[in-house]
Amino acid sequence: MLHHFPLGFPVARAAVRIGAALAFSVAVATTATAQIKIGFQAPLTGPAATDGVSAKVAAELAVQDINAKGGVLGQKIELVIYDDQAKTDEAVFTANKLVGQDGVKFAVSGSYSASGRAAAPVFQKAGVPFISAYGVHPDITRSGNYVFRTVHLGQPQGRAGAKFVGDVLGHKQISVISMDNDYGQATLEGFKSAAGQFGIKILGEYSYPLRDRQFGSIVASVKRDNPQAIYVTGYFFTAGPLVTQLRAAGITVPIIGSQAFDAQKLIEIAGQAVEGVYIVGGLNRDRDSAQLKSYLAEFQKRAGYPGENVGATVYSAIVLMADAIKRAGSLDQAKVRDALANTKDFDHLAGKLVSFNALREINMPMNVNVVKGGKFVHYAWIDDLKLLAPPTE
Amino acid sequence: MDPDPVYYVDLTLNGLIFGAMYALMAIGLTLVYGLLRILHIAHAAVYAFGAFITVIVANATGSIALGIVVAIVASALLGPAIYRLLYEPLLKHPPYVAMIASMGLLIFMEDGFRILFGEQGLTFTRNPYPTEIHQLFGVTINTVQIAMIVLSVVCLTALALFTTRTRVGVAWRATVSNPTIATSFGVDAIKVRYLNFMIGSALAALAGALIALLNNFVEPSMGFVVSYKALAIIVLGGLGSMRGTLIASLALGLVESFGTILVGSYLDRDALAFLFLIIVLMVRPQGLTGARA
Repeated sequence: MLHHFPLGFPVARAAVRIGAALAFSVAVATTATAQIKIGFQAPLTGPAATDGVSAKVAAELAVQDINAKGGVLGQKIELVIYDDQAKTDEAVFTANKLVGQDGVKFAVSGSYSASGRAAAPVFQKAGVPFISAYGVHPDITRSGNYVFRTVHLGQPQGRAGAKFVGDVLGHKQISVISMDNDYGQATLEGFKSAAGQFGIKILGEYSYPLRDRQFGSIVASVKRDNPQAIYVTGYFFTAGPLVTQLRAAGITVPIIGSQAFDAQKLIEIAGQAVEGVYIVGGLNRDRDSAQLKSYLAEFQKRAGYPGENVGATVYSAIVLMADAIKRAGSLDQAKVRDALANTKDFDHLAGKLVSFNALREINMPMNVNVVKGGKFVHYAWIDDLKLLAPPTE
Repeated sequence: MDPDPVYYVDLTLNGLIFGAMYALMAIGLTLVYGLLRILHIAHAAVYAFGAFITVIVANATGSIALGIVVAIVASALLGPAIYRLLYEPLLKHPPYVAMIASMGLLIFMEDGFRILFGEQGLTFTRNPYPTEIHQLFGVTINTVQIAMIVLSVVCLTALALFTTRTRVGVAWRATVSNPTIATSFGVDAIKVRYLNFMIGSALAALAGALIALLNNFVEPSMGFVVSYKALAIIVLGGLGSMRGTLIASLALGLVESFGTILVGSYLDRDALAFLFLIIVLMVRPQGLTGARA
């Protein structure tokens, strides 16, 4: 046997080598030509991780759905995901990495305002079409003409809140509690700007830091105001304790919350106390849409908890990007940007995205939910697009 | 402002409740500082640990009381373990080394909670207490707030009696104020250290459990804000002084309660703590109660 070896060995080795090389080149070919990379940032760790993880699950779900339908332009979509910890420096760092190192041509932010605002100029400068899915600071889209947003700004959310409280519910004497970050303050400004129009008088105005969970002195003050209703901006993790503490002080008037109340965890935290609370801008889960139903079912399966607004908006942002690439008919970034800008009646999970305005902000009706039997239930639409009009510059 | 007395009683009561929780947290910190000159930042993680254990045990057994007891016992073991495994090996280095290690432990434990219990945090499946309301001097107060007042008064009084009326307590105090002399009088300084971490951690766990009950919510990062506020408090209280810490805690609680309403639109509650700290230190660099510098 041994004497055969010098002859046989190189032949066998060469065969293996050729085989391996062939296999390798095939693998390279499929990955190199059949993937469209979309950069994705979300706060996967740190205090914003709850929303970050929802965002990631939703984004992956969107990619799976797009690819299951054959992808875009015959290619599969692939996400390149980075954790930005909802911090500005991490957002800039990972945006640069996405553009420089990973060479993504398109990007979506599944993160908060502060990071979207920091990352947007990086993508703008690189000519990368960028969608901030649910970051609500007005400056994000002001970074330039490659930056889009798929959620209502704080200002229109606040105006819709004023219409709902003053017009739909008919309450005029209101106490206002807002959190002191960009989102809370912008929403408060919107509410105040439209309050007069709906005959609302603001009895007391209070603000709290994002990390606060004990609202004793604010609750005492609201009690003294003795309002007909309370308008609150906050996230579910501040809203849960706040609503509980308001109710625990014997305050029974309606509470109207802002969009970021819209997470199942709110109901888990506040339980009975949150029954009857209205949420302006919440996701309408009762809408008759096959896409929405399958999304909610899949999200629950993957995340282990029910889908909410953040995830739905991120999902829609990814689908919209893929849709724009399809409509552009090419991966040319300028063409995709134009296709995004010309979006008409896009089927957003939260409703019909009618169009983008000159500042690439959405024109879209807003849903109001009420918490009923431990669930978010559709209550009303605020569809006055003039009232909801986002800023144009 | 209208002179509505009930409103101001309400604000004062809320301030004292905030303060009582700060006191339970900060006593442990100030004791560790007094004894070892270490800023035990990870104390805030013990507080969060107590809160998580309370919720988990309460949900598993259906008994919130049992949850609180288990949390206190578990934290009373965790505290000394942190001393033995983290601080003791570092005592030969300058105190900032232990402080950096402590910061590291806080971050490590926060992310540990996130990985173990999920980034969404936990809630009690059944917790009627925060919405059970009572009338007191015309003010509406819930059962958890009453428990906060009663339990902190009981614990802090017991601690005061223990440190002034019992042999072990006196030895402990002696060690905190002067370890060398106390040791030469036959006090086992090492035992005192363990006792110190045990009691401080148990109090922090109680605070964590009560806050968890009030909010019906515990989060991995819940210790973060408390960690730096408790540091502000022990500096205000004159580092190492229990009486000073108690006064500083209540004072900060009141400043926050009234400040949130009076200047809340310019300065948030967290900023107030530090403004208060800066002002006090400018006027009284030795802290509120004037313990030795």
